[in-house]
Amino acid sequence: MAPLLVVGLALCLSGTWAVDKGNFKTCEQSAFCKRQRALKPGESPYRALLETMELTNTRLTLQLINDNNKVRLLLELYRLQGNITRVKINELKPLKPRYEVPDVLIREPTTEPLSVLSQDENGVVLSLGVESQRVIISARPFRLDIMEGSDVLMSLNSRGLLAFEHLRMRKDTFSYKVTSTVASVWDNIKRTTKEEEEKVEDGMWEETFKSHTDSKPNGPSAVSLDFSLPGVEHVYGIPEHADTLRLKTTDNGDPYRLYNLDVFQYELYNPMALYGSVPVMVAHSPQRTTGIFWLNAAETWVDISSNTTVFGKMLDYVQGSSETPQTDVRWISESGIIDVFIMLGPTPKDVFSQYASLTGTQSFPPLASLGYHQCRWNYNDQEDVKSVDAGFDEHDIPYDFIWLDIEHTDGKRYFTWDPHKFATPKEMLQGLMDKKRKMVAIVDPHIKVDSNYKIHNEIRSLGFYVKNKDGGDYEGWCWPGSASYPDFTRADMRAWWASMFAYDQYEGTMENLHTWNDMNEPSVFNGPEVTMHKDAMHGSWEHRDIHNLYGLYVQMATAEGLIQRSGGVERPFVLTRAFFAGSQRIGAVWTGDNAAEWDHLKISIPMCLSMGLVGISFCGADIGGFFKSPSTELLVRWYQAGAYQPFYRAHAHLDTPRREPWLFGPENTALIREAVRQRYTFLPYWYQLFYRRDLLVHPVVEEGARGVTAYLPGKDEVWFDVHTFQKHNGAQNLYIPVTMSSIPVFQRGGSIIPRKLRVRRSSTCMEHDPYTLYVALNLQRTADGELYIDDGHTFNYEKKEFIYRKLTFANKVLSSVNLAPDAKFTTDSWIERIIVLGASKPSKVTLKTADGQEKQLEFDFNASMSVLTVRKPGMNAGADWTVTFQ
Amino acid sequence: MRVYIIVAAVFWCGYVDSRKVRGISSSYKRFYRERKSFLCIDGSRMIPFEQVNDDYCDCEDGSDEPGTSACPHGRFYCTNLGFRPHYIPSSRVNDGICDCCDASDEYNSHTRCQNTCWNLGQRERAYVEGQMRTLDEGLRLKQQLIEEGVLLWREKQAQLRELQQVAEDLQVKLEEHRRKKHEADRLKEQTLKALEAGNSGLIRHQNSSVTSIFHLLDTNKDGSLTVDEIKAKVVLVHDEQRVLSEGEALALLDRGHRMDLSKFQSTLWDVLTRGDTVKIKDTQGAPGSLSSEDPHLKAADKAAEWEATNLKKVEEAYETVNMEISDLQKKLAIDYGTDWEFLFLNGQCYKLKVYEYTYTLCPFNQVTQKSTAGVEVSLG
Repeated sequence: MAPLLVVGLALCLSGTWAVDKGNFKTCEQSAFCKRQRALKPGESPYRALLETMELTNTRLTLQLINDNNKVRLLLELYRLQGNITRVKINELKPLKPRYEVPDVLIREPTTEPLSVLSQDENGVVLSLGVESQRVIISARPFRLDIMEGSDVLMSLNSRGLLAFEHLRMRKDTFSYKVTSTVASVWDNIKRTTKEEEEKVEDGMWEETFKSHTDSKPNGPSAVSLDFSLPGVEHVYGIPEHADTLRLKTTDNGDPYRLYNLDVFQYELYNPMALYGSVPVMVAHSPQRTTGIFWLNAAETWVDISSNTTVFGKMLDYVQGSSETPQTDVRWISESGIIDVFIMLGPTPKDVFSQYASLTGTQSFPPLASLGYHQCRWNYNDQEDVKSVDAGFDEHDIPYDFIWLDIEHTDGKRYFTWDPHKFATPKEMLQGLMDKKRKMVAIVDPHIKVDSNYKIHNEIRSLGFYVKNKDGGDYEGWCWPGSASYPDFTRADMRAWWASMFAYDQYEGTMENLHTWNDMNEPSVFNGPEVTMHKDAMHGSWEHRDIHNLYGLYVQMATAEGLIQRSGGVERPFVLTRAFFAGSQRIGAVWTGDNAAEWDHLKISIPMCLSMGLVGISFCGADIGGFFKSPSTELLVRWYQAGAYQPFYRAHAHLDTPRREPWLFGPENTALIREAVRQRYTFLPYWYQLFYRRDLLVHPVVEEGARGVTAYLPGKDEVWFDVHTFQKHNGAQNLYIPVTMSSIPVFQRGGSIIPRKLRVRRSSTCMEHDPYTLYVALNLQRTADGELYIDDGHTFNYEKKEFIYRKLTFANKVLSSVNLAPDAKFTTDSWIERIIVLGASKPSKVTLKTADGQEKQLEFDFNASMSVLTVRKPGMNAGADWTVTFQ
Repeated sequence: MRVYIIVAAVFWCGYVDSRKVRGISSSYKRFYRERKSFLCIDGSRMIPFEQVNDDYCDCEDGSDEPGTSACPHGRFYCTNLGFRPHYIPSSRVNDGICDCCDASDEYNSHTRCQNTCWNLGQRERAYVEGQMRTLDEGLRLKQQLIEEGVLLWREKQAQLRELQQVAEDLQVKLEEHRRKKHEADRLKEQTLKALEAGNSGLIRHQNSSVTSIFHLLDTNKDGSLTVDEIKAKVVLVHDEQRVLSEGEALALLDRGHRMDLSKFQSTLWDVLTRGDTVKIKDTQGAPGSLSSEDPHLKAADKAAEWEATNLKKVEEAYETVNMEISDLQKKLAIDYGTDWEFLFLNGQCYKLKVYEYTYTLCPFNQVTQKSTAGVEVSLG
């Protein structure tokens, strides 16, 4: 009842099917953002005190002074392995420690030597070691320029917007008065004569938003820094926003906001904060790609401006100037320190691997989780689950996971089952296991305050709850009614949480049950902006400091639980809604509560691509849309688009009519079946490549579309339609007529993609199936690809139990070479077919296996399409072989 | 007999099909008669016969691989000897899940499947027999219910006819009683009018009446009327409520304080019989006593009252009967099935407990939902 009530209430409040913007702050309503944004460029009070510079082999430190208030900052500069420069700025002597984000970097980054090239009273020039890269530190005002040759790659504080609000005593408090009285006369004189009296502005010591008061006992603590990117017109990243892939300039509106929030019915095409935050921006130009990783977990706003916006362009036109394009960005965070990683590329791929070297790569998911997921709020009971499962068999549609939302629990007490509706969960899970299928059940981080609930009692008695500002357990309102929130920032709390997933703790579970963490922003229905009060306490840190990190910790603890329950053997699958930098190491992410609208289908593509650019590749949107009910056409198109997005799950709101794939007439069932089957044929590709650039997908996202125009990149590239094998040249806008069954997908010439065409009930059923190799030749008549095989679900690949092979087509010979000779794994899978696209007709095709035996292969050549199909070569997928086309 | 057929069938299969093509039904065997080549069933292609069921899909229609999972849209025939044969999609061949009860779909997989057809068949047969028994029992019950229903129906019809007869009779009676009551009322009216007419005549023309009025007014029976007696019994015609004043009474007594019968006859009697200024007060029993004393009126009144009571009784009876008729008609208008087999449900109620709710279904009547908290909601 509670969810309905709350949803109903929210509906009443908003009145329409759209977010109530008034529930969320604008920059103007967020005191620190307003303060910081009011600063004018070109008036930096900061000066580098060069005489304080210290350089050990790999670490440079230097003090900065704010000439207005004489507060000193400490700058640290490191050169990191892999063309990364790290700049840290903190107060030299803060009143108390300021928060530095832990657990996001995979390890302390490896540093490389720095050396001073030259130095005078105006600045210092440091060598970054490679390719004539240098850092120029200017003293007055303080400024950093990173150079390569004569090019400036990036400048810091070039606009003078560095601002660091030092921690201070509150002047109207007793303790301040005592301190100032006791302080020596000299100090007092110094204070009054030398320092400018600090202005106390509204919102520094207390801030109220919509009846919620933030007590701010530590006062102002914001940090901010600007970056200039010469030569850059396009910047990307800083998810999560429901906006275009390319970030827009923010001069005429709010900055992009990073603050994990449960936004009810979010609006598209604006910079409002959503469920997750990754403070990483990628700057791209044809010459160079760089990245900025701003490691701060507090509320953050990012301003972007450019000299090539309409105004700039007009200026160019009028003056005929050849000014280089430049993008300026500015980061503002509410607390913590400045800790920024400047990733210097130079290629996009370099930036991605630089970022991965800091925060890790996408966790290797269990193969089955790349299959299709069937979800809704809610499958009512075991009988319902059984009949939906049977529906998939009856309609011959593959699926791997069926999901249970919050209603499966006993009164929203996570880790429990409704005693009536899910009385025998193991029986249900066994039924799924018999079909080689799996289940996901939701476990949210808000815990019902109920003295008869074991989980609550234990967390309370262990003192693991987040505390309110007065030291009591923080309580808020969520699905179960009154709820408390475990302090996931504590390692001991996370270890305890993980232990709750053991089979003997979480009763009714089996190894084919996986987990979904929702509401982990955290969502607090009656909290400010539907989240936790910033003055809530996580040990000695305020929620303000750690907010954007909370969701990552929830997913981390949950995934650890799933690993532990299997004795460290099985790869976990955990879906999260809230995320931060590093969440990619843990599991999958989805774009939250979208709606059944064409625009939401469209936006799912840039939203997931934005996350992919900053490492979170295992992303998807609710197929069909969560709120409202999709038209049949929209649903089919969404299934088709989703088949080529990493995480493929249909989901729907409690109040919407049922929409299992077979409920829309046989014709549409067939269209959806075909889309899901295409997904399954590509599973080997999804699994091993996670992801290459060999497929180009242009799903149809317009209502009533008769055709789409796709840009096929690459001047010397060719692309093959994967359905018709039609060949197209690159570097063109291709118009593709479409029908309801069309999903325009192209394979790049020069690539080899292994597929499994025997689509079965679930991915696990396809484990031993043979491969078909799609060899798409480029203009040079070559192609290459890889083939990776392991058991699909354990960590044994870490023990070198896998097959990893290089497939190469050159000089009319296709060969399979072992890329990991020290790895051991055997497979039943074999090569059943080779399809060469863009081929010419051979006179004979010969297979040569490792034992030296040769065999003539049958083939079929379609001259009109230049497609050669080799029939049943039959060699094992893990073996060495060559196929020669004479 | 059945056993012989099965044995013969097994024998025949084993004998004729030494090179059995996997995954086809006997009706499709004619397409797979071994020759040098095989024509895809859709006629699209000719392939060497060795390529039938060689785990590679050559025919568009999947007909060359009835026994493997090679073709995306093929189908596999589970013979399921001892149970029911059926087709499964080719994708379920060797997928590690036992689909055919004869285990024939998992001939080359990591999963060991048991042949469960005989058991399933047994169970199926037992089930079907059970079903048959249940069905027979059900039919028997139905027949019984139909018979009961028909009887009940007839009974109700007879009841209806009876009631309608009663209603008709009552109607006749009712009219008679209405007439009688009307008659009695009329008689009473007449008597009353006659009496009233007689009264005024008597007052004017008969001494005895003068005497009786005098006596009526002479409350203390002392042979003379006083001011107080006049005030007590005489009122103005136009203002009956007001008690006469001393002066007015005195005037009626012709200014004397006492008035004897002879004086009354010559003075006040005339005024009273004229009846335009004063009259005798309608005290209890004054005119009533006049009429109630009349035996004719008394009889007429009683008769009217009697007839009214009778009429009311008959009317009530008629109404009751009509109500019963319409009830019965309503019930009889419901569709109880072609043979009135559902008639017995009328008047029954059934309860079902689902979690915290108790549902009560009274067919042809109402459905309610009652929670353990005691809240009852009508569902129609």
